[in-house]
Amino acid sequence: MNEPSSAQVWIWRVLVAITLAVSAWGVTQLDWSRVAPSWQFLLFALGRSWWLALVAMAIGIAAAMPLALLRVYGPPWPRRAATSLIEAVRATPELMIIFWVYFTLPVITGSQVTAWNAALGSLSVIAAAYLAEVVRAGLYSVPATQREAARALGLKPIAVFRLVVLPQALRNMLPALIAQLVSLFKTTSLVYAIGVMDFFRAVSVTNNAVYAPYPLYLVLAAGYFVSCWTITQVVRRFDPAYQLLE
Amino acid sequence: MDWAILWEYRAALASGLAITLAISALAIVGATIVGVLVGCLRGSKSYLLQRLTGTYTELLRNLPLIVKLFFLYFVVGLPALPAALAALVLHQSAYIADVTASGLRSVGAGQIDAGLSLGLKRWQVYRLVILPQTVRVMLPPMTSQYVSVIKNTSVVALIGVADLTFQTQQINVETFRGFEAATAATLLYMLLAGAVIGVMTRWQRRQVAR
Repeated sequence: MNEPSSAQVWIWRVLVAITLAVSAWGVTQLDWSRVAPSWQFLLFALGRSWWLALVAMAIGIAAAMPLALLRVYGPPWPRRAATSLIEAVRATPELMIIFWVYFTLPVITGSQVTAWNAALGSLSVIAAAYLAEVVRAGLYSVPATQREAARALGLKPIAVFRLVVLPQALRNMLPALIAQLVSLFKTTSLVYAIGVMDFFRAVSVTNNAVYAPYPLYLVLAAGYFVSCWTITQVVRRFDPAYQLLE
Repeated sequence: MDWAILWEYRAALASGLAITLAISALAIVGATIVGVLVGCLRGSKSYLLQRLTGTYTELLRNLPLIVKLFFLYFVVGLPALPAALAALVLHQSAYIADVTASGLRSVGAGQIDAGLSLGLKRWQVYRLVILPQTVRVMLPPMTSQYVSVIKNTSVVALIGVADLTFQTQQINVETFRGFEAATAATLLYMLLAGAVIGVMTRWQRRQVAR
């Protein structure tokens, strides 16, 4: 690792300082009077986006576990079914999945779903498919020798999985699991298309009411950036070298 | 079920597919050029360039695609197609930059020194030693990046670009045959993703065989 030249470090610091100062000045120049009364509404909507992401994540993990186990250890036919399900969801655009659940599923089942349930349902399906791959990678990350050693010690297959494979797999997949939350949080912005009052829609609605695009776009970008960045920092805490990829 | 509706709307579906295909292809090319460039700069020795490119990826990766898309379309005021293309390129180039940077990192720095000490010029070292190895490492993650681009193009329907997703919704509104239309569109998206995966996997095999 070569030391960065101190001149460059200083140029960078000055650049950051200038950018921050100019942005701060720009923020004060904007007209906030029309946006300010809506701050509670906007904050509440941001909370709703977080809630959507977290609940979908929880349902997703619960569904991903059996899917991944089937894909890794399952008998041939269930394994193929799980694989095709995961791959089909991963190959379909997220927006299409949301439309599927909201517009198309009621036609098949004959019963209407609310936009909120459709949003939660489609996000859970998306989360389940992607998380199943994370869990699978986690299971593969435990060397086969660990399993063999545990078997040689006389543990039954279920005990081998529960006591030896799963704890190590969980530790290995933790950064990737949290990283999926970043991606899921960004995906929640798409449910605006079916009328759910998430953060994105709340900002659009406020803009339609008071017309203040510049301050509101700043709020929109800041809300998503701070949320995702916070999750990213949590991932880095667990694994500083982790490569966030989607 | 009334699958004949798809035949009736074949022209709409075909034009939607054509637009999705065109946007995907342009966005893939654009995001690859920008992303690889940013990724190479990220791997440079200059502290300033590392920080600048790091900020670029950090900023773009932590914002949802439609925030960028709506910003370019509604606030900047670009026409729909350029806004869609620019948003997709900005979005994916940040990920491709990270793929490139880690690809370059995976080829040890000792290789450059070894190449130079063999008497190769610096550009020859990159062209003959570093690039072939980096490409080999990068192909699998790039495949999933390209599939992401294809899927992400569906978002352009939200600003009124008549792509495959837009046409599906149109059929749903006009005829209430959402199921048939959504099935067709989903299969077409899978086909596109499958084609990209197929081409990239073949390329990958050729790289490994060499």
